[in-house]
Amino acid sequence: MKKNVLLVGGLHKAMSLAQSLLNKGYAVTVINDNYNDCMTLASIEDLEVIFGDGTKPFVLEEADGENMDIAIALTNKDDDNLVICELCKKKFHVKKTVALVRDPQKTRFFYQMGIDSVVCAINAITGIIEQQAFIDEMTNIISVEDGRVNILELKIGHHMPSVNKKLWEIDLPSEAIIGYILRNDQGIVPRGDTRILAGDTLIVICDQYVQQTVTKELTGR
Amino acid sequence: MMEFYKKLENKRIVIMGCGRLGANLADYLYEQGHEVIVVDSDEDAFRKLSASYGGLTFISDATELETFDKLEIDEQTTMIVVTDSDNTNILISQVAREVYHVKTIICRLYDPQRECVYDEFHIDTICPTYLSVHRIEDILKERGA
Repeated sequence: MKKNVLLVGGLHKAMSLAQSLLNKGYAVTVINDNYNDCMTLASIEDLEVIFGDGTKPFVLEEADGENMDIAIALTNKDDDNLVICELCKKKFHVKKTVALVRDPQKTRFFYQMGIDSVVCAINAITGIIEQQAFIDEMTNIISVEDGRVNILELKIGHHMPSVNKKLWEIDLPSEAIIGYILRNDQGIVPRGDTRILAGDTLIVICDQYVQQTVTKELTGR
Repeated sequence: MMEFYKKLENKRIVIMGCGRLGANLADYLYEQGHEVIVVDSDEDAFRKLSASYGGLTFISDATELETFDKLEIDEQTTMIVVTDSDNTNILISQVAREVYHVKTIICRLYDPQRECVYDEFHIDTICPTYLSVHRIEDILKERGA
């Protein structure tokens, strides 16, 4: 059985998302309330396009809301996205709802309202920019749980304080763990007595608050 | 103006949206002697208020949490949500209930089909369509139709 995905609103986001989901074998339906946008969207093969206001229950019904596995609200308005997801969840019992939110302050509120996944474009983009800007200091940071938890990739050089130390000798905060060590293209799952060598790449999982401490402890910066 | 507002000790009535309904309500409630503040993102909207309105006005986007904080909204506030968009009204009401725990919220919804999203929040909704239907029904009955 193909999984059914419903995308509501958004033109460029909906287009690229629809294309990528179709390639992965999902059945995709889009709803858009602009007729010209609908025509553009309809140029994608196999994509079902519905012209209408996705915040209205009867439009969602027409889109077969009952049988959707995932609903994604991509409009530019936070209130519309909230209502779309709430209708999908409460009226049509869609298993998973995803909402785009513009105002980062509302992320928590959206989760509180029972939306399964809330994506804040501004947070995501500033996160990426920050990462790019400080690329020298940290090779890579991946944020999960809305930035509460970070996964860091740290390259260890000769002069760094953690070189040639065993893991238990390093004073890491309890909110952080070294989860993996990459050494000469080989992966090591570290234990307390594993020694860190120059040239290692450490994958560290930590709370965002201790990220500075962790980086300082391991790389000295 | 906000300093003055913060000094008010009586129950505050906050009206979100200064359309025809919002403006009329503000006029009426003010005349009844309530402490009223009307919020709208468009300054021109306040022209709809009558010349004798002596309550407060506040230019701000009611969907921003900042607005709620500035208005010092709390459990005791009475909130009337009457912007021209159903979705905006739903968002404002739910923020008021879930984040600020406002007890009394009255909200206008044009589309009765959207009411289901409210069910578990116990927010009072007013639907002009239903009200009109009932009223017309009553008139018809009076006339013996």
